[in-house]
Amino acid sequence: MKEIKFEHVKKSYGDTEVVKDLNFTIKEGERLILLGPSGCGKSTILRMIAGLEDITAGNLFMNGQKVNDIPSGKRNVSMVFQNYALYPHMTVKQNIIYGLKVKKVDKEEIEKRLEFVLEMLQLKGYEDRLPKQLSGGQRQRVALARATVKRSDFFLLDEPLSNLDAQLRVSARKELKKIHEMLGQTIVYVTHDQIEAMTFADRIVLMYNGELQMIDTPENVYHRPANVFTAKFIGSPPTNILEMELGDGSVKIGKQSFLLNDLWKQQISQIGAEELLFGIRPEHTELSAIPLPNGLRGQVKYVENQGDNYGVYLDVDGQELIAMSENGNWHDGQDAYVRPFMEKFHFFFKNTEKNIGYPQQMKVVEELHYLEEGKVTV
Amino acid sequence: MRISRHAETIWHFIFMVTVLVMVFPIIYAFGMSFKPLEDAYNNVLNILPINASLENYRTLFASLPVLKITMNTFVVASVATVFKLVTSFLAAYAFVYFKFKGKEVIYFLLIGTIFIPFTVTMIPNYLIISEIGMLDSVWGVILPQLADAVGIFLIHQAMKNIPGSLIEVARLDNMGHGRIMKDIVLPLVRPAVTSVGIWFFIGTWNEFVWPVLVLKTTENYTLPLALQMFISSEGGTNFTVAMAVSVITMIIPLILYLSFQKYIIGTFTSSGIK
Amino acid sequence: MSSLTAARRMLQINRENAIGYLLLVPSIIIFAVFTFWPIIYTVYLSFFDWNMISPTKEYVGLKNYIEVLSDPKTYRILGNTFLYIALLLVINCAIPYIFAFVIDIVLKKYKNFYKSALFLPAFISLVVGSILFTWMLNPVSGPLAIVFGWIGLEIPNWSKAEGWIIVVLSLITSWKIFGYNFILLYASINGISREIIEAAKLDNIPLWRIFIQIILPMSSATGIYVFIITIVQSLQYVFTPVKVVSQGGPDYASSNLIYHAYHEAFVVYRTGHSATLSIITMALFLLLLFLEFKFVERGVYYEN
Repeated sequence: MKEIKFEHVKKSYGDTEVVKDLNFTIKEGERLILLGPSGCGKSTILRMIAGLEDITAGNLFMNGQKVNDIPSGKRNVSMVFQNYALYPHMTVKQNIIYGLKVKKVDKEEIEKRLEFVLEMLQLKGYEDRLPKQLSGGQRQRVALARATVKRSDFFLLDEPLSNLDAQLRVSARKELKKIHEMLGQTIVYVTHDQIEAMTFADRIVLMYNGELQMIDTPENVYHRPANVFTAKFIGSPPTNILEMELGDGSVKIGKQSFLLNDLWKQQISQIGAEELLFGIRPEHTELSAIPLPNGLRGQVKYVENQGDNYGVYLDVDGQELIAMSENGNWHDGQDAYVRPFMEKFHFFFKNTEKNIGYPQQMKVVEELHYLEEGKVTV
Repeated sequence: MRISRHAETIWHFIFMVTVLVMVFPIIYAFGMSFKPLEDAYNNVLNILPINASLENYRTLFASLPVLKITMNTFVVASVATVFKLVTSFLAAYAFVYFKFKGKEVIYFLLIGTIFIPFTVTMIPNYLIISEIGMLDSVWGVILPQLADAVGIFLIHQAMKNIPGSLIEVARLDNMGHGRIMKDIVLPLVRPAVTSVGIWFFIGTWNEFVWPVLVLKTTENYTLPLALQMFISSEGGTNFTVAMAVSVITMIIPLILYLSFQKYIIGTFTSSGIK
Repeated sequence: MSSLTAARRMLQINRENAIGYLLLVPSIIIFAVFTFWPIIYTVYLSFFDWNMISPTKEYVGLKNYIEVLSDPKTYRILGNTFLYIALLLVINCAIPYIFAFVIDIVLKKYKNFYKSALFLPAFISLVVGSILFTWMLNPVSGPLAIVFGWIGLEIPNWSKAEGWIIVVLSLITSWKIFGYNFILLYASINGISREIIEAAKLDNIPLWRIFIQIILPMSSATGIYVFIITIVQSLQYVFTPVKVVSQGGPDYASSNLIYHAYHEAFVVYRTGHSATLSIITMALFLLLLFLEFKFVERGVYYEN
């Protein structure tokens, strides 16, 4: 049972609450990513698991045992820090085995494990170098090796790749996955980078302002955002969220409207007519210079080159809508027509900003978890 | 903005003159300590002696227990330095790595003692030392100097520069404070501890005010006190011998400074007084 | 036992922070016995007539304070003290500030040599310094007097001349402390982000303006620290040349509050007067620190 369970966990510094009433479970052997903008409390959560921060209220369980008062050293965790925290006065080898020596692990065993990580992380031949004689990528691998060699049940990583350049990140992620496949620890990984989260996580915990926004698989976080924050945080450019009114089987945005299919009509009528917000990802639209059936008309405000395609910023009756286009031949002020894909719509309650759910036949993956409401299968 | 060559040259000249004022007397003292007395008066402007001789040193060793006095100075300086380093290191560690009630107040009080004039404490300290029978003994000189606020401050500054994550890694490995101090913190602050140690050593080596109060007999003197004997209020006639004592007093600090100056200047320039 | 538990609860002692207190114990004991208790005892002594030898001390209330404050000598010495402070501030605060700026911004060569050479005297005994300068500046046979003689100048007989004696003793003290202050100020100026200075250079701002408008405010925290230790510590350093060279003479012309307190206690054995003078000195220093916190600290630029 190498799981970690948060039960009404809170953390505050004086009057500032940095983590508010946290309830969730990290499953044995999974790769869980804590994602969110800076200051959202994600690092604090990681540090509470490590025992480097006290828990203000609530209970934290690891391996089924309450650990609120268990010191760091007895929690069977290893951690990789953003700055790597390598001991500058110790060689690569000394850095890696120092913890084992302190724990009085058998000499042969130390050698065996050392060989294993040096091999796996391509650090052979660097054993006797000091950290300052290594490149950034090598330092990162030493930090990883030092954490791996402990063979602890829980593997914590605090923005471990944020000091690397883009190419090194890709290979480092592969290495991390390899380690995980071989050793099968429970991984908790903090990052603010959504690409990292999407590519690495079994599940993502999205945090904002000390509150858990959504916990689910990367697919669901992308396709089935639990609330407006999640929809906007994941994806770039962010999901368009538009003010709307419900017509008779149609959605009215500004002075224009488009029709809903039967599935959506039924879904919306089921939850009862309320004030809603309409959400659509820029990549889930079609953009054209000539009118489209069931589309919206807008004026081009700004075009952003994204390499393989263009983000076109439109003014649709006073609201901003971003659409993706494969060609960049748009000029400012020009009329353009957008058709959002019906099966990619999102609707949110205007007052709570929570998702209203999706028609059953449209589901992407097995199930959805909604904040506070427990599991809701739609 | 361009700094004119002219201005730079003028500043180099000013710096050179200042350096000369600072260093010339020291060099001059070395030369003079080898001059016979009449040479010193007749060939004032010769830095190097014309008839170099060890006469002054011979006179000195005949009239004073120089070895004993040097030894006294060495004992005072090294014992005080070792204790100051240990107490400062432990206190700095407590201030940096522990949270406890009253920490700020205690720190403020300890560091605040830097601003207390010594005259405020000299009479009671004299009475304490005399009460416990340590008057006229090097131990009486040492005893009040086993802790040091400047040391706490400088080592505290150096420790604060160690990234907290290094200590956290150690804590995750279930290391106790003894091990963290010995294996991680001490090696990382060693440059600072070394230069603070040299600063302490030289400071107590040169100390004058407190030993003047405590030490009474020539036997028990430290070097600066012995030196003072050679300058009577009227300037004295044993000037060249005084120069020989000066040289003996200066030699160890000079060697230490010249061998560790990079370290020392580094520590003082990175302490970041704020 | 129960009171122990109560005390523990009050201080929130647990195993972890108990070690913290433990580590402070050695320093605290030394400071308590040799600094804090003596301060209190000196305050106590300032209300008594005593000669350090007699078995009894006579309580005299404020008599010591009245005597000290009505003694014209005290004011003479106070005047000397302020003269010392003024001279030492110019030589060891203003000049090293400019030197630190010049070495960091203007000079390109020999920087390390200058730093090492200027810091060197800080490691030499001030007794040695006092003796050396007494010789160098000897008005009859010293090397400087001879060089001056070539161009027809004369060195005043400073050891007998009121005013001059303070100038010379200040110079000797400065020889020792100049380098230390210089290094601290250099560190502070060197820590200012190069971008800021380069931006100013790009804007063609003259050097003196960079110094006054950028360097001074941005290094002011260290500047004020140096200002205060120059007053507090160099005044105590002056003790050594006074004791070695002039013993406060001629006729108290070179004495300052620190030396006079020593003189009262260990030369004429009037502990009451000495304690009173010390307390007055400490009060002056505390007043200074208070004023610094109250008025100057607000305008100070602190990094972080």
